[in-house]
Amino acid sequence: MNEIGGTPLFFLEFGDIVVYFTPFTLTLFLLALVFTVFVLISRPERQIDIAFGADAFYAKVISLPELRFRRFMSIACGLACMGAMVTGDVFDFTLLVSLVGICNVGIVAAVKSRHVQNAAYQYGLVALAGTVPLFSAAAMVAATTGTLSMIELAKDAVAIPLAARALLVLGVMGEGMAPFYAAKAEMFRAPGAPYVIMCSLSSLLIFLRVAEVILLL
Amino acid sequence: MMWTAALWNEYSVGLVIAFTCALTGFAALTIERDDLHKLLLIDLVETASLAVVALIGTDLAEALILPGLVVGIAELLALSQIYLTKEELQHYKVKRLNIEVMMISPAPIIISTILVMYGIILSGFTGGGVAGLGIVFYFMSRSFTGNFHVLEIASGISWALWVASFFVFMFLPEWWYLALMGAAVGILLKVITKMSLVGAMWGEPE
Amino acid sequence: MIIQKISRILSNFDNILPVFAAACAVMSIITLLTLPFVYSENQLYPKQIVPGSSLNPYDRGGPPFTQVEIQSQYPGNSPTAGYVTTYLTPFSLFLSQQTLYMGTTIVAHPGGILDEILYNTRGLDTVFEPTILFIAFAIAAYIFRREEHK
Repeated sequence: MNEIGGTPLFFLEFGDIVVYFTPFTLTLFLLALVFTVFVLISRPERQIDIAFGADAFYAKVISLPELRFRRFMSIACGLACMGAMVTGDVFDFTLLVSLVGICNVGIVAAVKSRHVQNAAYQYGLVALAGTVPLFSAAAMVAATTGTLSMIELAKDAVAIPLAARALLVLGVMGEGMAPFYAAKAEMFRAPGAPYVIMCSLSSLLIFLRVAEVILLL
Repeated sequence: MMWTAALWNEYSVGLVIAFTCALTGFAALTIERDDLHKLLLIDLVETASLAVVALIGTDLAEALILPGLVVGIAELLALSQIYLTKEELQHYKVKRLNIEVMMISPAPIIISTILVMYGIILSGFTGGGVAGLGIVFYFMSRSFTGNFHVLEIASGISWALWVASFFVFMFLPEWWYLALMGAAVGILLKVITKMSLVGAMWGEPE
Repeated sequence: MIIQKISRILSNFDNILPVFAAACAVMSIITLLTLPFVYSENQLYPKQIVPGSSLNPYDRGGPPFTQVEIQSQYPGNSPTAGYVTTYLTPFSLFLSQQTLYMGTTIVAHPGGILDEILYNTRGLDTVFEPTILFIAFAIAAYIFRREEHK
């Protein structure tokens, strides 16, 4: 068996879908867990704008419903991320990655600013388009190998088309928007760290995980 | 006779067709500049991905299409709401079915009741769809503007019921019958409430 | 210079979708060029057509409350897999004895192979699927409410 992430430490069996922890995925899982706990207990920071030409500044107040909603989305994103880190099924992985994608959209879309809404819409479109290569990749893996379980796929020399792997990476890129950090700066103008950081962290984590999945297959 | 044996050649041919469709859609997305059209085009491209899933050609394919379809619909729902706020189209007055007879006669209630009851008999995903349609029809004919807290709570409870049934299946498999019924009722309630909430999220009537 | 240009294009979020769509289009072409793929004969949950059965595309054998063997990935993990497959509600059992078209509606009744996969053997998938719907719905409802209260 190909053990790119280390020897599996333990398995959690849910029927056909087996969740397993290797040293690599366990590390990522704990990282997501710790950050989710941070999000749970932390208070959001307020955006401070310096008034131009005067010795003054003003802070944007975040309403309580908005705070609650974004915290809810961040926690959901953290949980989805934890699932994506440890799942042992290709289709399950694609579902969790799309869940991360939609949570990210939710975190950003809650901000009441036209500019941010516009950005959230564009990201949402990319996340929606990203599900196309994701599901296609999972389906192609199932059709060409006859299994979706990563444990089975790692076992022997099952030939997975290169196109399926490439599509999987492309889909995760769309959901995680990892290569678009330049544009993400637009969203950082939106008030409310640590919730926005959750977007970046989840993108990073799902990208680390997809690298493992690709090497595993 | 196993069906899979016949699909060897057909699989690749099917992929050619599906990916040609996807290519066409993506090419259109590359040049499209209008936000609403982008959303519609992506919905179109989603269909191609469902075709790729369907090409597995087993019972598993049918079971994978359902989550794939739901992800698409869910994101479409969220994005269209973001689009409405982004373009500030929220405060347009919504035209209801302004048919005078329907506003007062008991016909919509009867039709809705039949649909809901038939949906409950069907149960499961399709049943939820049918019953949800009945409720949407009722809202459309009566310009309902109450609060939806009851529906939302029902939606949350049905989700919890679903998850509970899942755990019964996983950890108490000998109680499979209970879990099956729990899941069937859970998905029925979930789809009914989701559909009726979407039907009611129209904004102020004219 | 090129990097500067690329980052300038990417920093405008209006360009992200066209760039991603172009990448997807290129990927579709690559996929088309690498065809044909070998279809694996050894599939899970194979489809069977039993001519003449009233449950036709979904007939996997067995009367209700008996267990049939289904080809799942890890049969050991779901000891009762096969019971849901054969189950029919009294109403659908009645229908299947009356008409040959029960198979087309069996998806709507509790029981059957699809319910077996969706609820039992691949139940975790189906837990995440309503979760996605739930999250998307929460976003839509939050935005809708916020605008209403303005």
